[in-house]
Amino acid sequence: MTAPDLGGAPTAISVDSALSCVDIHKSFGGAKAVNGATFSVPKGSITALIGPNGAGKTTVVNILSGSLSSDSGRVMMGDTDITALPSYQRARLGLIRTFQLSRELGGLTVFENLMVAAKVQPGESLMNVYLRPGLVRQAEKESRERAASILEQYGLYDLRDNWARELSGGQKRLLEISRAVMAEPSLLLLDEPMAGVNPALIDRIGGHIHELKAAGVTVLMVEHNLGVVEKICDHVIVLAEGRTLATGLMSELRENTDVVRAYLGGVLDGRVDR
Amino acid sequence: MSPLVYYLFTLAFFVFAYCILGWGLNLQFGHGGILNFAYIGFVAIGAYVTGALSLGKPSGGQSYIFGFSLPFPVGLILGGLAACVFALLVSVLTFRRLRTDYLAMVLISLSLVLYDFINNFVPLFGGADGLTNVPEPFADALGLDTNTFVPFFAGVSLLVALLMWWVMSRITNSPFGRTLRASRDDDEATAALGKNVFKFRLISMLIGSFYAGVGGGLIVEFAGAFNTSAWLPGETFLIFAAVIVGGVGNNKGMILGALIVPVLFTQLPKFIPDIPGHPGLILNIAAMAIGVLLMLVLWFRPQGVIPEKKRLSKLPPLSERHRSTGAISAQLTTEETL
Repeated sequence: MTAPDLGGAPTAISVDSALSCVDIHKSFGGAKAVNGATFSVPKGSITALIGPNGAGKTTVVNILSGSLSSDSGRVMMGDTDITALPSYQRARLGLIRTFQLSRELGGLTVFENLMVAAKVQPGESLMNVYLRPGLVRQAEKESRERAASILEQYGLYDLRDNWARELSGGQKRLLEISRAVMAEPSLLLLDEPMAGVNPALIDRIGGHIHELKAAGVTVLMVEHNLGVVEKICDHVIVLAEGRTLATGLMSELRENTDVVRAYLGGVLDGRVDR
Repeated sequence: MSPLVYYLFTLAFFVFAYCILGWGLNLQFGHGGILNFAYIGFVAIGAYVTGALSLGKPSGGQSYIFGFSLPFPVGLILGGLAACVFALLVSVLTFRRLRTDYLAMVLISLSLVLYDFINNFVPLFGGADGLTNVPEPFADALGLDTNTFVPFFAGVSLLVALLMWWVMSRITNSPFGRTLRASRDDDEATAALGKNVFKFRLISMLIGSFYAGVGGGLIVEFAGAFNTSAWLPGETFLIFAAVIVGGVGNNKGMILGALIVPVLFTQLPKFIPDIPGHPGLILNIAAMAIGVLLMLVLWFRPQGVIPEKKRLSKLPPLSERHRSTGAISAQLTTEETL
């Protein structure tokens, strides 16, 4: 599959991509937040979406996840055109996201946050609640065990009965990622998962992202910490002014003068925290 | 029957009726986060439809639709369903496009329009005169007089309330209730987990409105009359006050809220004789007292007298879990949680 020519921007959409977007545009009033972004996320990869502030990264993630509709352009999940699907239908196809600012469900416990995310929930139908309580109990039992395992894996087990709103910033990050894992994603969009997180926890989160990759989950993460990008990402997409500036390995992008000028210059000069 | 006993049974009836009303609003507001400022309108629809279905053909200068002389449970259920149908129309028109505060504004406007429409359109439910002489359920069949009807119907209302408590408890304790509370906390994050938030809110709106309709139906059957003065749009806030004082998101708290606000602060003062020379003063003081009570609760105990309960996982401690699974995994260290 090949995207239309965008005048110098990378246009190739890989056949074995888990997610791709073609010529995405989005304006807010007169401000163009996304201006023809086109890229693909290779299946089974950990891909970073980087770019200077205001490059349109979060807007792109919102469009990919369906939280926001684009003015034009297409979003494909594998071979399926998901452009017109609302976010909950994209999530049911396996496209799960986290948010730039942690969005814990504060009025629920940590455990309930995970239970909500379980994919198969016959108890969400009131017919089943009244007429097939055995089916609901069985599904809840299976979800409980899965939630317990994930909480343990993510180090949140001891906090399971705390209100989610009472967690620290780092714990909320972990909760959001573990909740996303509970939803059984095939493709995970992480919007700045390391933002505001202490270095010890960054390593832990990086480890979990690697575990997800090993389990076959494709990960697209917006990240400003280029040290983290270099360490855990296979593939990098650079956005600038709402366009795809370049894609490739981090080592290749360091040699790309456009990228250096638009974003990495500060890093190379030591002005951006690596 | 002594006046005191009669009076206590009357208060008991209002406790049961307001519990039903409160549980409905609590599902919408406490669990679903829907600021339904038109709630009293749904109560009124249930009351009018139940009353007009229970009455026979219009006579004696009364004007209203229906007049089918339907027996008590049928009219009550249809009253609840009528409120549901209205809720469906409102929800489909508003839920997809409007969020909490804008939705609240639309709903309060709807309440005002509905009030004016029914107050002025006489052929529908009698306009400002409303419905009168609504038959007392089972009174003829059981030979009940005014004195015996009140305790009898308080008992019937208790049974209806118990049934609706059971139904509501199953809803709020189910995965449906959990997802509804999730959508209340963050609709976008909940949708991002694959949940159709619109559907959950719509269902909670319909069920809550059914409760409103049934509560309204019970009131009209008990009082034998219903007119627009009984459901001024401000009455919605009385039920909101009961939910907030009792405990948002807690069905048990709602029982306490129903006892305190609509009964002790609203129904009870109606039985206190007027102060000579100051008619209506007691009721006005009671209304002000509700405002003061609400402010005190919001200031000192915003979660309500009985707060929303924490639904514990009932999972074993980690050490016990490790013994049973044989696995050990590292929990967060102090450095990681900082």
